[in-house]
Amino acid sequence: MGRPLVHRSPMPGLGLSAGITLTMLSLVVILPIGALVLQGASFGIAGIWDTIHRERVWKALFLSFRISLYAALFNLVFGVILAWVLARYSFPGRRILDAAVDLPFALPTAVAGIALTALYAPNGLFGAAWKDHIAPALNIALEVPAYILNLVAVPLGFEAFVFEVPPRIAYATPGIFIALVFVGLPFVARTVQPVIHEIEREVEEASATLGASRYYTLARVIWPMLMPAALTGFALSLARAVGEYGSVIFIAGNKPLLTEIAPLLVVIQLEQFNYDNAAAIGIAMLVISFAMLLVINLIQVWSRRRIGYV
Amino acid sequence: MTNPTARPAATFDGEHSGFGLSVSRFLGNARFLRGAVAAIALAVSGVVSAAPVQAEALLNVSYDPTRELYREFNEAFAKYWVEQGNEAPSIETSHGGSGAQARSVVEGLEAQVLTLALGGDIDRVAETGKLPKDWQAKLPHNSSPYTSTIVFLVRNGNPKGLNDWGDLLKEGVEVITPNPKTSGGARWNYLAAWAWAEKNGQDPQEFVKKLYEHVPVLDTGARGSTTTFVQREIGDVLLAWENEAYLALEELGDDAFDIVVPSVSILTEPPVALVEGNIKNDEQRKLAEAYLNYLYTPEGQAIAFKHFYRAWDDSAANPEDVARFPKLDLVTIADFGGWEKAQPEHFGDGGTFDQIYTAK
Repeated sequence: MGRPLVHRSPMPGLGLSAGITLTMLSLVVILPIGALVLQGASFGIAGIWDTIHRERVWKALFLSFRISLYAALFNLVFGVILAWVLARYSFPGRRILDAAVDLPFALPTAVAGIALTALYAPNGLFGAAWKDHIAPALNIALEVPAYILNLVAVPLGFEAFVFEVPPRIAYATPGIFIALVFVGLPFVARTVQPVIHEIEREVEEASATLGASRYYTLARVIWPMLMPAALTGFALSLARAVGEYGSVIFIAGNKPLLTEIAPLLVVIQLEQFNYDNAAAIGIAMLVISFAMLLVINLIQVWSRRRIGYV
Repeated sequence: MTNPTARPAATFDGEHSGFGLSVSRFLGNARFLRGAVAAIALAVSGVVSAAPVQAEALLNVSYDPTRELYREFNEAFAKYWVEQGNEAPSIETSHGGSGAQARSVVEGLEAQVLTLALGGDIDRVAETGKLPKDWQAKLPHNSSPYTSTIVFLVRNGNPKGLNDWGDLLKEGVEVITPNPKTSGGARWNYLAAWAWAEKNGQDPQEFVKKLYEHVPVLDTGARGSTTTFVQREIGDVLLAWENEAYLALEELGDDAFDIVVPSVSILTEPPVALVEGNIKNDEQRKLAEAYLNYLYTPEGQAIAFKHFYRAWDDSAANPEDVARFPKLDLVTIADFGGWEKAQPEHFGDGGTFDQIYTAK
């Protein structure tokens, strides 16, 4: 890391391997994104803005990025826990579970979408249980905090609060959330797991002998070491979720203004042969994604500066 | 069902490697350049070497529900073609959403024959110059060897009493239909509803707006909608092509669903065309022309009838296959001014369908 590559390397084959790498990167990454930007450039800023500046497009973009963020946050928490369990504990079936974490990568997303829809649809295994038992029970339970809140809120002139869980999972935003959690889960777990393996027991023991509590060790010793990797996983998971189409399309319901994701709008424009408009929405997503990834990178840089390079 | 994973523009797996940095590091290194050139040449040579030309081969690019139809038709045609003293042809058929299929051909899929769900999709291919603009006049019946119409598939016994388009707006009725923007087949559904409203003195724009308020799930393709209705048990009525409704009954048994024929519907014309620009030689042209003409022979028509399409010539068809189709009042796409006018007016950007979801 950090060694300048312009100096002649004692290792042979740099030119060839770099050439192959660059060619592959160009074919797979630079060319498609370049084509997208070029298509947008020929369309012009005004055209792009006209395409994006519609209620339906804004709502779809907002939906896509909002649910992707929720899903990535969920994966951040759950993925770290999962990695911790897989790395630190030994229990029967651990290896199988370890292998299963990668399944969302291997499964075609359409298959995942259809399987999740079958489970969470109102007549599916979880969907039916949710609709008939879990959701009503939760609604009753939620009446308690609503009642307490309203004791204060109503005299203050607020409208009475009513808390209700959504009756449907599939064909509503919770379904999109579940699909995005599914496709993004391995990223955090897989980036954090090797780091946990690297942490030496002595570090925790030293922390304990110096009188730190378990919580203090976790927050001040372990977490700073995990954070850069966890953030990388979070960013990957977020980026994956924003662009996800195959699985979401089956579970979302795709109602305009309500459950229509931005990638679907791109496909709709393509179906109409409006390549310019499709590129415009694509560029909007690219810009927002880039901004989000940049912020995450900055947080990483900041955290490294603060706690030193791990 | 279309294949969404194959669409490059729809996926943005945001790459954020430090690529720009490494480029500047690499440039200026002569050995790197030589290596890069070698690697690029290697990659390009693999792409350029073309597949050998195969005579007597035909690619028919079709849409989703014609799978069974063309499986049988291809066999029958191959037999006929051999009987005519020719070598056995190799005929391939590709199926998918009609619009996506048309786009593949526009973008270079070498189909010699198109058999899609609506003329508008073939018009898109014609715009590239691969076939003449007046392609639809080349073969009889608007180049539609078989037709169908839009009917209602309801749950067994029709518990909600849905007998005509007006009933679909009843309180609590859920209607399943795909998004006409992404599904060519669904455009016919939309126009059929529009036609009924017009004939019954209602404001058609208002009628379709209310109709789509009853749609709880807007799938991207007809197959998706059928799954939603049949497997997920969502909705009270599925708007479907007649042939697909019968296909569903055949596969799922007729004790689960009923077909209801509304008073007014639209004559759906899935047309066929020869793609001039993709014909390699005279032999292939002869084969492609014979293939399309065979669709119009009594034998070809009988196969269409058997697969629940309303064909034209029933002389060789099984009378049972013909008798299942009730008569009804059918409007045609010509009543909407043809796809050239209907497509932008209803399904283009800002068209009547978009207005349903913008005028809030």
